[in-house]
Amino acid sequence: MKSKIAYFVFSFVLVFLFSRCEKDNYDAPTSMLTGKVTYNNEALGVRSNALQLELWQHGYQNFVKIPVFINQDGSYSAVLFDGNYKLVRMNGAPWENNVDSIDVVVKGNTIVDVPVVPYFTVNNVTFQKNGNQLTASFVVNKVSTQRNLKSVRLFLGKTILTDNGYNIARSSVEAVDVTLGSPTTLSVSIPDAYANSVIYARVGVETDGIGQLLYSVSEKIQ
Amino acid sequence: MKRNIKYYIAAFLLSSVLLSCNSDWLERSPKTIITEEQVWNDPKQIVGLLANYYNRLAIFTGLEGNWRDKTMFDDAMWSGYSGEEWRNQMSSYGNNLGELWDYYLIRDINLAIENIDEYSTSLTDAQKQGFQAELRFLRAYQYFEMVKRMGGVPLITEQLIYDFSGDPSGLQHPRATEAEVYDFIASEVDAIKDQLGNGGSVTRANKYIALALKSRAMLYAGSLAKYNNLMAVPITTPGGEVGIPASRAQGYYQASLDASLEIINSGIYSLYKNNTQLGENFYEIFDKKTNNTEVIWVKDYKQSADKRHWFSYDNIARGLREDNLASSCITPVLNLVESYPYLDGSKGTLKNRNAGNTDYIYYSTLDGIYANKDWRLYGTVLYSGATFKGLPAGIQAGVKVWDGSGYKTIEGENIGTTYTDGKTLVGNSGPHRSMQEVSNSGFYLRKFIQSGVGTSTRGIRSDNWWIYFRLGEIYLNAAEAAMELGQSNAVNYVNTLRERAGYPANSLSSLNLETIMNERRIELAFEDHRYFDLKRWRKAHILWDGDRNNPQAMLYALYPYRVVGGSHDGQYVFDKMIAPRFLTPRYFQLSNYYTFIPQYVRDNNPKIVPNPFQ
Repeated sequence: MKSKIAYFVFSFVLVFLFSRCEKDNYDAPTSMLTGKVTYNNEALGVRSNALQLELWQHGYQNFVKIPVFINQDGSYSAVLFDGNYKLVRMNGAPWENNVDSIDVVVKGNTIVDVPVVPYFTVNNVTFQKNGNQLTASFVVNKVSTQRNLKSVRLFLGKTILTDNGYNIARSSVEAVDVTLGSPTTLSVSIPDAYANSVIYARVGVETDGIGQLLYSVSEKIQ
Repeated sequence: MKRNIKYYIAAFLLSSVLLSCNSDWLERSPKTIITEEQVWNDPKQIVGLLANYYNRLAIFTGLEGNWRDKTMFDDAMWSGYSGEEWRNQMSSYGNNLGELWDYYLIRDINLAIENIDEYSTSLTDAQKQGFQAELRFLRAYQYFEMVKRMGGVPLITEQLIYDFSGDPSGLQHPRATEAEVYDFIASEVDAIKDQLGNGGSVTRANKYIALALKSRAMLYAGSLAKYNNLMAVPITTPGGEVGIPASRAQGYYQASLDASLEIINSGIYSLYKNNTQLGENFYEIFDKKTNNTEVIWVKDYKQSADKRHWFSYDNIARGLREDNLASSCITPVLNLVESYPYLDGSKGTLKNRNAGNTDYIYYSTLDGIYANKDWRLYGTVLYSGATFKGLPAGIQAGVKVWDGSGYKTIEGENIGTTYTDGKTLVGNSGPHRSMQEVSNSGFYLRKFIQSGVGTSTRGIRSDNWWIYFRLGEIYLNAAEAAMELGQSNAVNYVNTLRERAGYPANSLSSLNLETIMNERRIELAFEDHRYFDLKRWRKAHILWDGDRNNPQAMLYALYPYRVVGGSHDGQYVFDKMIAPRFLTPRYFQLSNYYTFIPQYVRDNNPKIVPNPFQ
């Protein structure tokens, strides 16, 4: 009998312990911070999952960055708690390094675009499919004087995530053969296996000493 | 009354006990605390402390700790526990890869050097100097480990003491330049090399171990000075914390060559040549501890002292494992296997298809395809048809059944299965396309897997040593430095090593960086070199460019099959493919050349400038 009472007390304590833990739990964050990396209010294309923005929040003991990856179309998003954040642009991207942070106030769903100055831009991109040849025509403009052009490359891919890592065919032209500010063409043959399927095409500009390319919009080729 | 008397007596006795004792009766020396004076006057205790420091030296991918990171590059893939599958699927390398900021060890060493000066009274001057030289070697080695990962780091050579003034700025030291750290290592080695004792030791620092550090460190500095400045835009910081001026390259290469030659010409070390079977001979460098005159400095393990590691348990071939768990984690890939040339000097590409690529090449044995390869392949990789511990590796992926016009490939759901003809379908060791703890690449590791019975069990474990420096590397260091200095005899050092691997004498007539890169890759595979070598040559971002179409960024497998039926019945054919579990190309970005400075370091010390791209 005595031991039974002990069991009752014990189980009561257990129930008590486990039913009380609501108090110090947080709700999951719900506010969505979204935006785009832009130049002249136009989004810049990059390789997906390669470039980061950093979010920092002062005032808490655990001061570590929240890494935010930039999508292939230049957009980014993060689910956060409401509060004040600093948004930092990292070096190594195809735009000028700018160590100034951007103050971001997150209150509910927030949209913040991140303005940058790219080293080069690629404009007026058109694609022309002719048999198994795809020809891209584009204009490369120099925006920053800090770095030189290395090459311009054309990629074909199976999905919208087409870049220098994920592609089925590519071609490139070195900087000496590109006249900045005037139209350049570049062609590539479509592999036979993809002759009749939907493919995507994209032009990337490579800057000297920068591993990441700046891309045009990934365009669907029928 | 009677009782009272008892109390009186007791009280009297008690007080006399307490009062009569002389004054130091209560002053006992504590039995659980060792004082500074005791430690620094007892050579045995100092050696005990040194053992602790030796054990804490950083190794990036050794036999313990981060050994799994041997699968992060292009020599091996992960075939073990599927929870670690991310190693085969990394979209890029982390910015903290190889992070090391261990000033705890630096501080302990600084403290020890100072304490010997302060407390040692009964040691002779020679003893003191010897211990201090040994400590300075350890400190120099640790700084080398830090600079090759992080770039220039603060050079702290004395203990920092906080004065409780509320202002910690006196403790905050800026980063030294990359060149200054390498210069520090060189000057420390020069200062201590003749003070170090331990002659003949392979575990405690002596003159030649210090010179080996200099040989490697100066080679790193020289190639950083040269190859960084050959990039279109060199990786530098304005203050020189990263980036060594190109003008320093010559001097560093010369210093490296001088140190290497001093070791080679000392006559103390010689290449290991105790076994006439050249493949086994190469393997024994890492397995045999007696009569091994090649090793210069090792981290030793010992069964009887319970200093053991789990490397064999984790990495032995699946079919040969003696335990019922683990095995097969690090599996070399075809990329590495094909980088071993043929002994006639031709390129190492394995010949699995005929010249016109219309049919297989048929081999009568499972190891036929590896005939006449560099013997170091045998010593490093366990391939199909080879044996280990007297047992066949058991590597066969399935069968190819001839149906009159073509082959039908049959693979099993499990390993160790039998085909309907009563012969092997899948070998005991796979390979298998999806099973965990079975090789996915078709190869297993031989190097560093201990040969003794039971060494891959949890109960016994392994005690083969980890080699920091061996003469083989010093030959390659000498060859590279001499080549960069334009000396024509550079090629001889490489030829000596190649002769041991089975090549004829003078197999190479000239040397270039490509050859050096490949020789270092195959001679020093899994010895913690490839990642750092490719970084200092600034080749990593070119080889591992994150491009699926680049065969150097993808990892490949080789699957052997037995032919059933047709005119080649019973022979073996081989399929090359991208390793099935390997999904994402290796992607080394420019920002990976220098590991990012940890955030807590920058928070604590605002004088620390970040690395490029950080």
